[in-house]
Amino acid sequence: MIRALRLSTRTSGLMLILALVATACGGAAATPTQAPPTAVPPTEVPAAEMTGSLTVLDWAGYDAPDFWVDFKNTYPKVTVNFEIGASDADIYTRMKAGDQADVFHPYTGYLQFYVDEGLVEEIDTSKLTNWDKVPDHFKAIGQINGKQYFVPWDWGFTSVLYRTDKVPEGVDSWAALLDPRFEGHVSMWDDGPGAVTVSSYINGWDETKITPEQLAMIKEEWIKQRDVNLFYWAGQQEMEAGMASGDIWVAYAWQGSYAVLLGQGVPVAYANPKEGRNSWVGVYGIRKGTQNYDLALKFLDAKLAAATGNNVVNLFYYGHSNQDVMNGITDATLKQAFSIDDPTILQKTNFTPNLTAEQLDAWTAMWAEVKAAP
Amino acid sequence: MLDRRATFWVLYLPPLLWLGAFFVVPLILMAAFSFRADMRGEVLQWWTPTLKQYAGLFAAGSYWRLLGISAFMALIVALISTALAYPIAYFLAFRAGRRAGFYLVLLLVPFWTSYLLRVMAWKFMLGSNGVINSFLMYTGLIHEPLTALLYNRNAVVLTLIYVWIPFVALPIFAALQRIDLALFEAASDLGATPFRRFWRVTFPLSLPGVFAAFFMVFIPTVGEYVTPLLVGGSRGSMYGNIVQDFFTKAANWPLGSALSMIMLIATLALVALAARIVDLRRLIE
Amino acid sequence: MSTRRAPSRLTGYYFGLIALLYLPIAILFLFSINANTTLSFPMRGLTLGWYKNLLESGAVLRAARNSLVVAAGSSAVATALGTMVALLIARYQFRAKGLLVTLAVLPLIVPFVVLAVALLILFSALHVDRSLWTIGIGHTVVALPYTLLIVVARLAGFDPNLEEAAMDLGANYPTTLRRIVLPIIAPAMVSAWLTAFTVSFDEFALALFLAGTEPTFPVYLFSQLRFANRLPIMIALAVLLMIGTLTLVFIAERVRRVE
Repeated sequence: MIRALRLSTRTSGLMLILALVATACGGAAATPTQAPPTAVPPTEVPAAEMTGSLTVLDWAGYDAPDFWVDFKNTYPKVTVNFEIGASDADIYTRMKAGDQADVFHPYTGYLQFYVDEGLVEEIDTSKLTNWDKVPDHFKAIGQINGKQYFVPWDWGFTSVLYRTDKVPEGVDSWAALLDPRFEGHVSMWDDGPGAVTVSSYINGWDETKITPEQLAMIKEEWIKQRDVNLFYWAGQQEMEAGMASGDIWVAYAWQGSYAVLLGQGVPVAYANPKEGRNSWVGVYGIRKGTQNYDLALKFLDAKLAAATGNNVVNLFYYGHSNQDVMNGITDATLKQAFSIDDPTILQKTNFTPNLTAEQLDAWTAMWAEVKAAP
Repeated sequence: MLDRRATFWVLYLPPLLWLGAFFVVPLILMAAFSFRADMRGEVLQWWTPTLKQYAGLFAAGSYWRLLGISAFMALIVALISTALAYPIAYFLAFRAGRRAGFYLVLLLVPFWTSYLLRVMAWKFMLGSNGVINSFLMYTGLIHEPLTALLYNRNAVVLTLIYVWIPFVALPIFAALQRIDLALFEAASDLGATPFRRFWRVTFPLSLPGVFAAFFMVFIPTVGEYVTPLLVGGSRGSMYGNIVQDFFTKAANWPLGSALSMIMLIATLALVALAARIVDLRRLIE
Repeated sequence: MSTRRAPSRLTGYYFGLIALLYLPIAILFLFSINANTTLSFPMRGLTLGWYKNLLESGAVLRAARNSLVVAAGSSAVATALGTMVALLIARYQFRAKGLLVTLAVLPLIVPFVVLAVALLILFSALHVDRSLWTIGIGHTVVALPYTLLIVVARLAGFDPNLEEAAMDLGANYPTTLRRIVLPIIAPAMVSAWLTAFTVSFDEFALALFLAGTEPTFPVYLFSQLRFANRLPIMIALAVLLMIGTLTLVFIAERVRRVE
C-alpha cells in the first residue's frame, strides 16, 4: 500500500515538473518579441546578406507573406514578427501602452492621436525609392501638421452594398441603411464613428463639427435603426456570408466585399449614393524610439513595391497607393469595384477626417448607448 | 516548533504574493482608472481623481437598465438550467447504479467540446438556413424560414442554457450522493409516499448543491459577452459586451473601468445577499 | 431498492436530454465530414479531407499546442498554490486566515471580463507585452479557487493524528508534510490539476484580452470563425480533441479500477 502511495506522489511530482518544463519551453518559444533587437548593420551590407529582426503590428491577414513579398525577397535573412491588432482602437491602445512593435498600420481617422502623443517617427521620404509612384493626394493623407508621419498603403471605398434581386429599385442614398422597408435585412458595421459619419452624410452635417445636440439626434436615429438591423458585423466575412445567403439585403460595406460577392456570383451592386461614397486610407507608421528605423524604412519602401501592391489588389480587393499598380488593373470585376472607369469618382468621395480624442470618446460612448438602449 | 513556523511562511507567502500581484493590484489599478478623466499621457502616471466617468454613467440610464437586463437573463439561464439538470443529477445518483460513472461522462462529453464551437453549432441550428428551419420547411410545416430564432435575446438565453446544463448537474449530483440512504428507509417506514419522501427528505438535503449550481451559472453569466456577440444580434448585447467594446473598440479605459467597477460591486452585493440566505461557508466544509 | 425499478420516466428524461445535448455536437461532427463549406440538408457529400488539411495546417496545430502549454503551466501553478492555501487552512490558525481564504476564493465571483480588464491594465502599466505568459497568469488566478476547494475537501477528512504520530517518531514538519500528507492528498492534487487544466484549455474570455502574438486555440478559433472555408478544419480539430479527452478519461477510469 505504501509503495503504491509513494509511486503516485512521484508521478504527481514528475507531472508537475514536466508541466513546468513544458511551460518554460513553450514560453521561451512563444515570446520572440522580447528578444532585444539586434543592431542594424550599415547599409553597405548587401540586401541579401542583411540580418536583423523587425516587429510589425498589423491586422489579421496582413501577416501573410503575400503582403510583404517584396521585402521578403529582397531581404531574405531578416526575420519579421507580427503582432495582430483587432481594430484601430486596439492598435492605438497597444501603442500607447508601450508596445515594442517597430511598424504599425492604422487607418485614416485615427492618425492625429499618434502624432499628438509622440508615438510616431517622421518618415525620411528621401530613402523611399517607390515614393514617386504615390500620388500627391495620398501623400497628403499621411501628413500631419505639415510633416510626413505616415506612408499610405491600402485604400478603398465605403458605401452601401445591396442585393439587386431583393432591392430591384436600387439604392441611391446612405439612408437605405435605416430604411424600414428593409426591416430585418440590414447589417451595419459595429463602429460608432462609422455611424456618425453615415448620419452626417444623410443629414448634411459637417463631420468634423458635430455638436452635442446633433450627436443626441444621431443616437436616436441609430436606436431606431436597430429595428431594421439584423446584426452588426465586426468582420466583413460575417456580412458577406449574410448577403450570400439572402439574410442581408443592404449593408454598410467596403468595396472588397463587393468584389468578393461578385466573384461568388451573388447578384449585388455597390451604390453611388447622392451624398457621395466614403473613402479611407490605411497607412504605416514607424514607432518613435525604435532601434530599427532604417530597417523599418526599408520595410515600408518594399510595401510600396509592385508585387506587394498587386497582391493587395488581387487578394484583398483593396486599392494600393502605388499608382502604377492601380493603372495595371485589367480584371473587369476589380475595375467595377474601384470605379476605375469613372474619373469623376474621387470628386464624389468624402475622405475620412482624423478624429480628435474628444470626438472618439463621445462617438464611441454614443454607440455604446445605442447598444445598451432598451 | 521552529520548522513548523518556517513551513508556515513557505506556504503562506507564495499564494499571498501571487494573489496580491495578479488579483488585488490589478483590481485596485482598475478602480483607480475609473477615477481618471481621459487617456491622455502615459498609461501609468499620476492623475487627479475625478468622478466624471461615474457622473456620465449615472446620467445615462441605459447602462443601468442593461445591467439589470443582463442580470435578469443570467437569472433565467441559471433557474432553467438548474431545473433541467436536477432530474439528470437525480437519475445519476439514484437510478444509474453502477453505470453512474459512464452516464456522468456521457453527460460531460459535450461540455468538453470547445465552448465557441458549441455556440457556433447553435448558430447553424437556429439560422434561417439552419437545421431547424431546413427541417421545418422540408416537412412543409412552414413555408418561410423563421427569422425570430436567431439574433436576439432569446437565442442568447437558449444557447447559454444549453452550454451550462452538463456542468450544472455536477454539484447537485454531489449533494444527492452524500445523502444517507438510511434516511429513505426511515421515511418509507414512517409511511411516506415516494413524492413526500422526495419533497421532505431528498430535496431539502440537496439544496446546498442546488444553490451551488445556481450560483455557479448565475455569476459568470451576468458578465457574459461571447455568446451575445455570436448569436445576440443588434438587440442581444449584454453588459459585458459594452465593457469589452470600451476596451477594444473605443480605447476608453477610464469609462470601461468605471463600468467594470459597477458590475463588480453589483456582483459582490448579489453574492453577499445570497450568502445571507445560504451559509456559503458550510458549502466549503 | 431504487435500483431494481424498471426503466422509469426519469431514465427517459435523461436519454432525451442527452440526445438534445448531442444534437449540436452531431451537427458539428457532420460539418467536419461535409464536402462543402456550408452545411445544408440533405448533405451533398462526405469527405475526410478536412482532417487531412488539419494535419497540414500549421497555424491550427500551433494554436492547439499553445493552449496545451498554457494549460499545463497554469494548472501546475494553480495546483501548487491551491495546495499551499489548503494546507494553511487545514493545519494552521492565524489571524489573516479568513482574509486569505476570501481572497483565494474571490476570483470565482469576479466576472471574467472584469478580471481580464484589470489584468490588461496591470500588464500595460508595467509595459509587459501580452503573451502566453500573461494568459497563463490570468488562468492561474481563475483556477485557484477550484484547486483550493478540491484539495481542502480532501484534507478535511484527513486524520491529523497521522502527522502527530510521524512527528512523535522524530520527523520534522516539512518531512511530515512531504512523506505523509502529500502522498495521501496526491489523488486530490491530480484531480485539482486536471480541473485547472480543463478550465484553462477552453478558456476564452480572459485569453482574448491577454493574448499577444501567439493565440491559444479558442482565441485562434474565434479569429477564424468569420472565414467560412476555415471552419471545418477547426471543427475537425475540436472533434479530435473531444475523442482524445474521451480516451484519456476511459484510460483513467480503467487505471482507477485496477488500483
